[in-house]
Amino acid sequence: MATTQPAQHPRRSMIYRILREAGAEFEALADAAVAMRYADGGDEVALARRLGLADLSPLARTGFKGRDTPDWLVTQQVAIPDEPGQARRQSDDALVLRLSADEHVIVSDLRTRSELPATLDAEWQLSAERMCYHMPRADSYCWFAISGECATEMLAKVCGVDLRLDKFDDGRIAQTSLARINAVIVRNDLGTTPAFYVLADSASADYLWPCLIDAMKEFEGGIVGLAALRALV
Amino acid sequence: MSGVNRLPAPAGLLVDHDQPISFEFEGKRYKGLAGDCIASALAANDQWLISRSFKYHRPRGVLTMAGQDANVLVQLPTDPNVLADRYPITEGLRVHGQHYTGSLEKDRDAWIGTFAKFLPIGFYYKAFYKPKGAWQKWAPLIRRKAGLGVVDPTVDPGYYDKQYKFYDVVVIGGGPAGMQAAVTAAQAGAEVLLVDENPVLGGSLTYARFDIDEPNSEVTRQRLLAAIKASEHIEVMTDATCNGWFTDNWLAVIRGKRLYKVRAREVVLAAGVMEQPATFGNNDLPGVVLGSAAQRLIRLYGIRPGRRAVILTGNDDGYGVALDLAAVGIDVAAIVDMRSQSRSTPLVDAVREGGIKVILGHTVYEAIGTDRHIKAVMVSRIIRRGQCEDTGDVIDCDLLCVSVGYIPTYQLALHAGAKLHYDDESAMFSISDVPQHMRLAGSVNGIYDLDAVLADGRRAGWLAANALGLKWEREPLAPENTGASGRNFAWPIFPHPNGKDFVDYDEDLQVADIINATRDGYEDVQLVKRYSTVGMGPSQGRNSALTTARLVADAMGRTVAETGVTTARPPFAPERIAHCAGRSFYPERHSSMHHRHLEAGAQMLLAGVWLRPAYYGGKGERDRCMSEESLNVRNNVGLVDVSTLGGIEVRGPDAGEFMNRIYTFAYVKQQVGRGRYVVMTNEQGVVIDDGVACRFHEHLYYVTATTGGVDRVYQNMLRWNAQWRLNIDVGHVTNAWCGVNIAGPRSRDVLAKLCTDVDLSAQGFPYMGVREGRVAGIPARLLRVGFVGELGYEVHVPQHGGEALWDAMMEAGYAEGIKPFGIETQRLLRLEKGHIIIGQDTDAMSHPGEVHLAWAIARKKPFFVGGRSIQEIERRPFSRKLAGFVVNDLAAPIPQESHLVLRDNAMTGRVTSCYYSPTIGKPIGLAFMAPDQAVPGQTVSIRSTGGVLVRAEIVELPFYDPENKRQEM
Repeated sequence: MATTQPAQHPRRSMIYRILREAGAEFEALADAAVAMRYADGGDEVALARRLGLADLSPLARTGFKGRDTPDWLVTQQVAIPDEPGQARRQSDDALVLRLSADEHVIVSDLRTRSELPATLDAEWQLSAERMCYHMPRADSYCWFAISGECATEMLAKVCGVDLRLDKFDDGRIAQTSLARINAVIVRNDLGTTPAFYVLADSASADYLWPCLIDAMKEFEGGIVGLAALRALV
Repeated sequence: MSGVNRLPAPAGLLVDHDQPISFEFEGKRYKGLAGDCIASALAANDQWLISRSFKYHRPRGVLTMAGQDANVLVQLPTDPNVLADRYPITEGLRVHGQHYTGSLEKDRDAWIGTFAKFLPIGFYYKAFYKPKGAWQKWAPLIRRKAGLGVVDPTVDPGYYDKQYKFYDVVVIGGGPAGMQAAVTAAQAGAEVLLVDENPVLGGSLTYARFDIDEPNSEVTRQRLLAAIKASEHIEVMTDATCNGWFTDNWLAVIRGKRLYKVRAREVVLAAGVMEQPATFGNNDLPGVVLGSAAQRLIRLYGIRPGRRAVILTGNDDGYGVALDLAAVGIDVAAIVDMRSQSRSTPLVDAVREGGIKVILGHTVYEAIGTDRHIKAVMVSRIIRRGQCEDTGDVIDCDLLCVSVGYIPTYQLALHAGAKLHYDDESAMFSISDVPQHMRLAGSVNGIYDLDAVLADGRRAGWLAANALGLKWEREPLAPENTGASGRNFAWPIFPHPNGKDFVDYDEDLQVADIINATRDGYEDVQLVKRYSTVGMGPSQGRNSALTTARLVADAMGRTVAETGVTTARPPFAPERIAHCAGRSFYPERHSSMHHRHLEAGAQMLLAGVWLRPAYYGGKGERDRCMSEESLNVRNNVGLVDVSTLGGIEVRGPDAGEFMNRIYTFAYVKQQVGRGRYVVMTNEQGVVIDDGVACRFHEHLYYVTATTGGVDRVYQNMLRWNAQWRLNIDVGHVTNAWCGVNIAGPRSRDVLAKLCTDVDLSAQGFPYMGVREGRVAGIPARLLRVGFVGELGYEVHVPQHGGEALWDAMMEAGYAEGIKPFGIETQRLLRLEKGHIIIGQDTDAMSHPGEVHLAWAIARKKPFFVGGRSIQEIERRPFSRKLAGFVVNDLAAPIPQESHLVLRDNAMTGRVTSCYYSPTIGKPIGLAFMAPDQAVPGQTVSIRSTGGVLVRAEIVELPFYDPENKRQEM
């Protein structure tokens, strides 16, 4: 895939400048550009296994809330988690996060093969008969991934939830405070590598990213591109 | 050899004889060993004077060697008040004593102690309070003469941070009980954190003599260490202090530059005990140490703490100390035993067999010394409790070890709500009412015999694991023989007629100070504390609480049990503000156009947590930039980032009804495609927010709110609908949308280049219309609003498209001369138009009528939040009114926000907004004032900068375009 620059696209990650300065090589992804790898990034896959931080904000995601949302999602062939606070992987590797009984977030798979977020956005209509309302999660959230064996210890520097792997199962969700801002943290292991998705206020992305980088330093973690995460799956 | 008092290798558990370290104390170079603390390294070099006392500049040195006293606080280049008996030496470390004038050895202020009798507690308040104003003159002098270290505010404290930790069981204290508790809990399967403040585990096993067969302690320690090392479930934190217990077993553990916020399901407190000093004349001289301090020096650091020693004791532990001193070659001149007789125990018998002189029924009447070290003690016969003869034998010595009893390390238990009880018979404190999910183990639990301590630790570990549902063998029995009997001598207090019989070393408080406090009417120990400051110094009563309780009890004719001790609150030990602050997290929100503002040279200002462009230009160019930016909007076209505006979607079949109830205006009949101003009032009828409701669908209102108020609006909506149960949903979409306001007579021309799927004509898209379309190919919501009083459009697009929208707008408007304008300019423009800003032009009392918003109230609808209150308020005469004013005198200082509006020199209101308006050609503003002043044509006085009275003329609002022709073009 050809490299590109984020400013050539209408949708831009809130932190694309930081990524560019870190040497990111971007590739086009729909109407945005995603940091695929980093120049002089060394073995990013090994880094991702130890402690990696990736910006997935350009990837697709959407959300719906309202008491009829679970039923509507089921009619759309979505396998929703049984309980709030759980995430469920779909057959196309998209992930459905059940934030509450009535609120769901749907995020793309890393290979961006899933069309579920786009399909749901297209299918949804505001209706007086159905209490199911769209939540523009593609824009309200920035989306970061934190991967690797040191991820839980690093997150313990910025988050008060017990995210240890034997206490916080794969697919579990915490809606909590991360470096003093609200965030949704979902454990989504990549193959055998522990990993967490962080969905947080997009307007705070400029603030949150350096906080996470700072927390990673003592573990010799670093920024990785989407390609490294894909290699883990 | 690292000092004359250093014992040969391998003496000293903590020190490495192969690693010498050089450091400086008071400008002189010393040699210590790796593992030494400052105090031990100085002791090795026979430097016992370490610092000077708080009030009398008394020479002070090692007392506890456990970080439990303020006698060893020293000054480092970067830090004041460092505990020399805890802080490790490093190569090149520079250390100074504290609180002296001239030199530590020859303190020019040491004379102050001579006048101690004339300086009772609170003397400065009593003596220097009159005449009025005298205290302000005396205070600086007194404060210079009393105090601790010196803070250098230029020092960068370095990087401090915090980390959360989670465990099944946290054991606080790595002595025998704690180690055993950790092992037992881990054997049951619990994940355990073992916290100890020392560099190695072992606690009293590393220094104390439990029995005659000294190596037994080390054998026990090694066995427990091996078990801990073998366990996968135990994490050990040494050099770590648990500084506070908070609700739900939240423990603040400090190690190095990190504060660990530890959550424990179960806590085992095995914090041990604190040995207590005795009270007699000159009991603070360097060379007077606790018995355990001497043992620590010997065993932990390989230091011979003296050459000729006297032991003052009231229990058998003093005999153990004597054996330890003798074992390293110290001449033990005598054991002065306060007890009238001693039992035959292995330790006592061993001392007698060793030929050490024992003097029963006596005490040390006073320590005799030079101006910096003890050289002898006078030993006197005890006549009755607390009284001895005032003469006696003088015994030469350079070391006096005191072993008269203990107090449990109670602080953390008391943080958790436990109680401290005194048993007058045993003269000991014990801890009761320990809360759920906390257990005591070992000597803090009143158990001293080593076997019993281990059994108690085992039991505590088992109980903690059992509480977690982890079954492991049978419940261990509580130990029977606690070994507590006879540990505390009931009254080791012998006031000296010349004073210097210190109760609280931190604050230089003597026996008479405590007694006098009770005579001054402070009869409760809590009041004595506040009056005398006893226990309020750095050691927080560790060495004074017991003696104080005894003295107050005696003075008031109560028992010690009835008297009690003062409350213990976190922190347990002094902690740095940097630890509390940690790695500072100051959240900031940026719109997606943020970097474009920076690139355009904007001066940014903080609005809540948002960073917004104030204006575009240099720091000193505010007024010029605002003027140019505002004129460009009035005459041409400008672009401002409005992304921080709150965004809320109200959707559902009852959305119109909900809007009708939550806002003051009427919305049920609002047409799709139209916007309508919203005002939110609270139950008291106070204006709390405003914005625009855009009806994009019969069941969808997209409502804007103020930047700082949107979260409260959202919460209000959720709260009210929890009662109303209307069929709606409220979505907080502020950060999902960003937006710009393109404003000015040429704004339509610019927008038309980017938006082709919306009819932008005045008829097709009239004022207060709202539309959906695409702008620069980006899906957008368009609002034709006029906050700045010109033809204008707010264009809202998804957040991640904001920068592309900004770029497209700036490029499309290039030919029209588009320029960005900042928030300051926007505020000026809206002021010209007479629009208020909620929170700036309103306050917590403002109702709609007094701020010109009565027009935004729908009077016919049955209910809205605050409606009833507004009705009541409007029945009464207004007490104030917001009015517009102009300043015609262009030479007068421009009034600022909060400048007072006056009438006959009495305040009638205040300025809420004021700017120089380049369009109007004079300063304009809004101000609250008396209703009869708020009449156009009237003149009011405003006390402006420098107290200058400025005449302001009241005018009709708005200042600009009263017929609204500009915004409705």
